[in-house]
Amino acid sequence: MSIDLSFLTRVAPTLAEGLSTTILLAVPAILLSATWGIVVVMGLLSRFRVVADIARGYVEVVRNTPVLVQMFFIFFGSGFAGYPLSGFTAGLLALVLQNGAYMAEIYRGGIRGVSHRLAEAGLALGLTPRRSFGLIVLPIAIRNVIPPLSNQGVLIIKDTSLVATISVAELTFQARLLADRTAAVFEIFFTLALFYLVLTAIFSGCMRLLERRLRLA
Amino acid sequence: MELLVKSLPLLARGAATTLYLSAAAIVFATALGLVLALLQLFGGLILRALVEAYLYVVRGVPLLVLLFAMYYALPYADIQIEPVTGGIVVIGLYFGAFMTEVFRAAVLSVPKGQWEAARTLGLTTPRILLDVVFVQALRVAGPPYINTCIMVVKGTSLVSIIGLADVTFIGKQIVERTLAPFEIFGAVAFVYFVICFALSRLGRHLEWRLNYVP
Amino acid sequence: MSPDVSVGSPGSAEIEIRGLSKWFGDHKVLKGVSTDVKRGEALVVIGPSGSGKTTLLRCINLLEDFQEGEIRIGGEAIGYTVDPNGKRMRRGEAEIARLRAKLGMVFQSFNLFPHMSVLRNVAFGPVRALGMPRKEAEERAAALLARVGLADKVDAMPSRLSGGQQQRVAIARALAMQPKAMLFDEVTSALDPELVAEVLDVMRQLMQEGMTMVIVTHEMAFAQAFAHRALFMAEGEIVEQGEPARLFRDPQSTRLQAFLKRFKQGYQL
Repeated sequence: MSIDLSFLTRVAPTLAEGLSTTILLAVPAILLSATWGIVVVMGLLSRFRVVADIARGYVEVVRNTPVLVQMFFIFFGSGFAGYPLSGFTAGLLALVLQNGAYMAEIYRGGIRGVSHRLAEAGLALGLTPRRSFGLIVLPIAIRNVIPPLSNQGVLIIKDTSLVATISVAELTFQARLLADRTAAVFEIFFTLALFYLVLTAIFSGCMRLLERRLRLA
Repeated sequence: MELLVKSLPLLARGAATTLYLSAAAIVFATALGLVLALLQLFGGLILRALVEAYLYVVRGVPLLVLLFAMYYALPYADIQIEPVTGGIVVIGLYFGAFMTEVFRAAVLSVPKGQWEAARTLGLTTPRILLDVVFVQALRVAGPPYINTCIMVVKGTSLVSIIGLADVTFIGKQIVERTLAPFEIFGAVAFVYFVICFALSRLGRHLEWRLNYVP
Repeated sequence: MSPDVSVGSPGSAEIEIRGLSKWFGDHKVLKGVSTDVKRGEALVVIGPSGSGKTTLLRCINLLEDFQEGEIRIGGEAIGYTVDPNGKRMRRGEAEIARLRAKLGMVFQSFNLFPHMSVLRNVAFGPVRALGMPRKEAEERAAALLARVGLADKVDAMPSRLSGGQQQRVAIARALAMQPKAMLFDEVTSALDPELVAEVLDVMRQLMQEGMTMVIVTHEMAFAQAFAHRALFMAEGEIVEQGEPARLFRDPQSTRLQAFLKRFKQGYQL
């Protein structure tokens, strides 16, 4: 075991060069997905049949195709079309498009999950439907969706590893670089896994803190 | 467009590989998920802790990392496995963890009163699970199970990165040669879409059948 | 505390409870409860919520564990035995299941198996726990369902029945096991008022047929009219017991007086 540990200190720095890129990619991906998801869910719930259909079509296509294929599509497609996007940008775009759809579904579930009796209670008190929604349903829905959103965030963090395939120098890319050059593959991937575990643990921990602060009485 | 037609045979072979990988991984993940869920629900303290640890690790590490780990590490460990089998095992191990949570939640969702009523009639746990709990848990497990299966199908696309000739790999190869990303990756996406959409249709049909009360 | 007039010599009663105690940390739910339920006796247990009456019932067939005391069903100790060294040992799951089969229980929330027809629900216990051939079990089940007045609902699914009907099926399901005694856990509390009578009718019938019964209930009029003995519990102990009519007419303890007063006030609306 002691042999491994000493090597760890030589592996970690190289991997850590990719850490900033991973975080730089994950944070905007999460925030933009969450935002884009709001737009999408408004489309899904729209009164206009056309808008709802487009939104539904988009969600279905994105959810039934792998995010890797979407990344390739955007990355190679943008180059071919004359406006080449960097691997980072293409990856970010693909992550947002994919996870925005999932976030939208989570929002939708969260809103429906709030018993309509509570909204009715609001109406009975004399609130307009819009205010009943905004003051009663929405706050409860927001609290309800934090756990599944937190899950989705973890998935986003893990999916950043995919941009390694389009030459973005994040964590996994760095690990592969090392693995191609040295024989200490166990140490490399063990450390890599450790990095991701720590990242996701920190993220989950923050989300749980948020949950606690917003907790329903 | 003619490029697409010319590429069809190649893509079809890739699609077959994708189907095969998906089916095998789903079977493996389902079996693993069932075993681990039972252990987590009814096992002793040590077993439960082991399962929890496994679930924690798998859920915190990207599938790509696990695939790379297998790809790079296996030759050094003197284990000779075909890459295809290795890919199936890793994907199965990964999504098996998700399946475990699905099955566990489903069993826990069956009201306690059902267990109590069955115990009152003098039945023991295995019998209760089979005759009373299983059907009711199935209803709850259906949709998330199908969703996880869809994730498996999409997850198989990652084997393209370690050189397995699934439809994504073949698509990428064709694009690198012919520079027609929109048509080819569009076709690749279409393949996945068809498989996943069919799965979700199947899921909805099963849901309807399980919930139909005459 | 009234004297334990109900406790007879060991082995003489259908259900014997001795020194039953249960606690959660500091909170004592049952404090050394002892009583016997003789064969053919209909015993009603009443008391305010938190008195331990439901816990007592659920300890009898070991749906709840207890830390001290002994419960015997037809002479056999359920759940725990004391070995020669005086150490308390839990009996095997198969043993517990066997003894549970001798008791029938009916729940407040019916707990019928939703994915089986009424007939299969009633036949399920005999087939799976007693190993009876399916055909025979289903014939007996049909007869039992006729006894509780549901002969025409034999092939229906539970979700199609009213609460009162479901509860009667639940009683038939328990009876199918030919139990030595039946336990009733507030079986009418979840029913609409107009459906309560049909369930109480079945219970009265059982009483008259000589079934040993322990009934936790709020139905005071029913208890007064039909039960042989009533236990009033509060805070984990038996405070008073005796013939129901006498108990309600002439309560001796202040706690029972207070309890009954609240009930009578309710009805005077």
